[in-house]
Amino acid sequence: MINKNIVIALIYHYSYIWRHSWDRIGDSFYWPAMNIFVWGLMSLYVKNASTEIPHIIPVILTGVVFWLVVWRAQHEISLNLLEEFWNRNLVNIFISPVRLREWITSVTIFSIVKMLLTLSFAAVLVYFLYAYNIFIYGFLLIPFTLSLMLTGWFLGFFVSGIIMRFGPTFQTLAWITPMIIVPFSSFYYPVYTLPDWAQTVAKFLPSTYIMEGMREIIFTDNFTYDKLFISFGLNFVYLALSITFFIFMFNKSKELGFGRWG
Amino acid sequence: MNKVLEVRNLTKRFDTPSGEITAVDNISFSLSDGEILGLLGPNGAGKTTTIHLLLGVTTPSKGEIKYFDKSFDKSREEILKKVNFSSGYISLPWLLTVDEILDVFARLYEIPNKKERITRLLSIFEIEDSRKKQFYKLSAGQKSRVFLVKAFLNYPRIILLDEPTASLDPDIAEKVREFLKKERKEFKVSMIFTSHNMPEVEEMCDRLIFINHGKIVAEGTPEKIAQGVEECRLNLIITKNQDRAVRFFHEEKLKIEQDKNHFLILAKESAIASLLTKLASRKIEYAQISIDKPNLEDFFLSMTRGKND
Repeated sequence: MINKNIVIALIYHYSYIWRHSWDRIGDSFYWPAMNIFVWGLMSLYVKNASTEIPHIIPVILTGVVFWLVVWRAQHEISLNLLEEFWNRNLVNIFISPVRLREWITSVTIFSIVKMLLTLSFAAVLVYFLYAYNIFIYGFLLIPFTLSLMLTGWFLGFFVSGIIMRFGPTFQTLAWITPMIIVPFSSFYYPVYTLPDWAQTVAKFLPSTYIMEGMREIIFTDNFTYDKLFISFGLNFVYLALSITFFIFMFNKSKELGFGRWG
Repeated sequence: MNKVLEVRNLTKRFDTPSGEITAVDNISFSLSDGEILGLLGPNGAGKTTTIHLLLGVTTPSKGEIKYFDKSFDKSREEILKKVNFSSGYISLPWLLTVDEILDVFARLYEIPNKKERITRLLSIFEIEDSRKKQFYKLSAGQKSRVFLVKAFLNYPRIILLDEPTASLDPDIAEKVREFLKKERKEFKVSMIFTSHNMPEVEEMCDRLIFINHGKIVAEGTPEKIAQGVEECRLNLIITKNQDRAVRFFHEEKLKIEQDKNHFLILAKESAIASLLTKLASRKIEYAQISIDKPNLEDFFLSMTRGKND
């Protein structure tokens, strides 16, 4: 027998939780929207790009692998901060002689290690499953990866700044933020597939230039280095801004006291 | 004695939706080498905020903190190498083993011979058996002891202890107190100590600061602070004319608690002799008498009830 009053009570319980965490409410709409944007645009691209169809597998697989670089780099920054919140260990860390710049350096170094691990695993997996060699980009794979990693970092420090100030209430940003650049940066289809306004947004994203460069190599066997320079230039500016934002939010949070996070 | 910590005009204000709150209101105090200073006050008085200000995890709105004659603001890292903290209100990474947690903190504090130091402290706090256990698998008492090991890892010259014995068994709590006394005696470790256990505070602290509504409302030795309560507790077992006794106490406007023939009367120490004479003249007889002098707990209660405000 199921007691309907108990079931109703539990439904109330979870609806109250849902109602009070607007990040989860946002979640309920964000992921469907993102998936519809990305896969809808992908379908449009496949439908209209008959000459590029033979290259579709490398385009998608490289898109997936390169996306992992951004995601891993961003995630390591935000998640290591969240771990301190979840463990109620933030006070312990910052009453020790740790400087903020040392914390920033350690999480970025650790994110390189984790990103390389994920990248190697993904490269091996796509090779064995789909006989696709990610190393076809040769030496260019290094600056591509580096640039995408910087993109992940600037997103990571931006999200961490918000978490630092507002706490784990905003932890969902650690998962949803990197996804926001996927439709605009054209990870799985060329930028021309996007509507005009979205192409303008894409121009301001450093990852767009890497993904366009990747497709240029696949389609034409050529690469214009301007794309790499623009991508790095934008990344350095955004990273500097996001670290500044993180430090600002860290100090704002300290004004309110880290003790409020346990 | 050398001052190892000096706090001047420390103030912390928080903006809240209902207006500005002053959690710490212009407090000044100092801590000497090897001194144990008790920080007392009711919940929400500003003790924890004060400790967090002293540790640099909350930014003061105003005031100055100096450790070892150096500004905390300017020499934070150098100072924090010699300071540590333990509290029942924080935690440590749940999935890590005790050894891993202590290894990380020993590295952060750049402890020489870290393995020996960790082993020695684990042994002192009788927790060596748990060193391979993950933190979440420990009991509350074991967790408290790990906090203490972590807090003493860096040979601190100043340690801030927020209810360090709160979740410990009496025998372990006693051992912790003995360890703290020994550290103070042998290494002149200075301590700021908060506890709701008043006998422990009386036993441990050389000096107390009582905080209420963010302000220091009393300061001195535990004995001196307890003397701030004027009323003693006079216990009487009245064997004859109890009704008359009740009327008399009411006439004298004394506060009493009665349980059958047991009377507890709150009265000034100087007035007790004349009170007993008056009882005798009214033929009120008593079989037993005892007088409890005011202690720290009485002071705490009187302050939290606002009687001494």
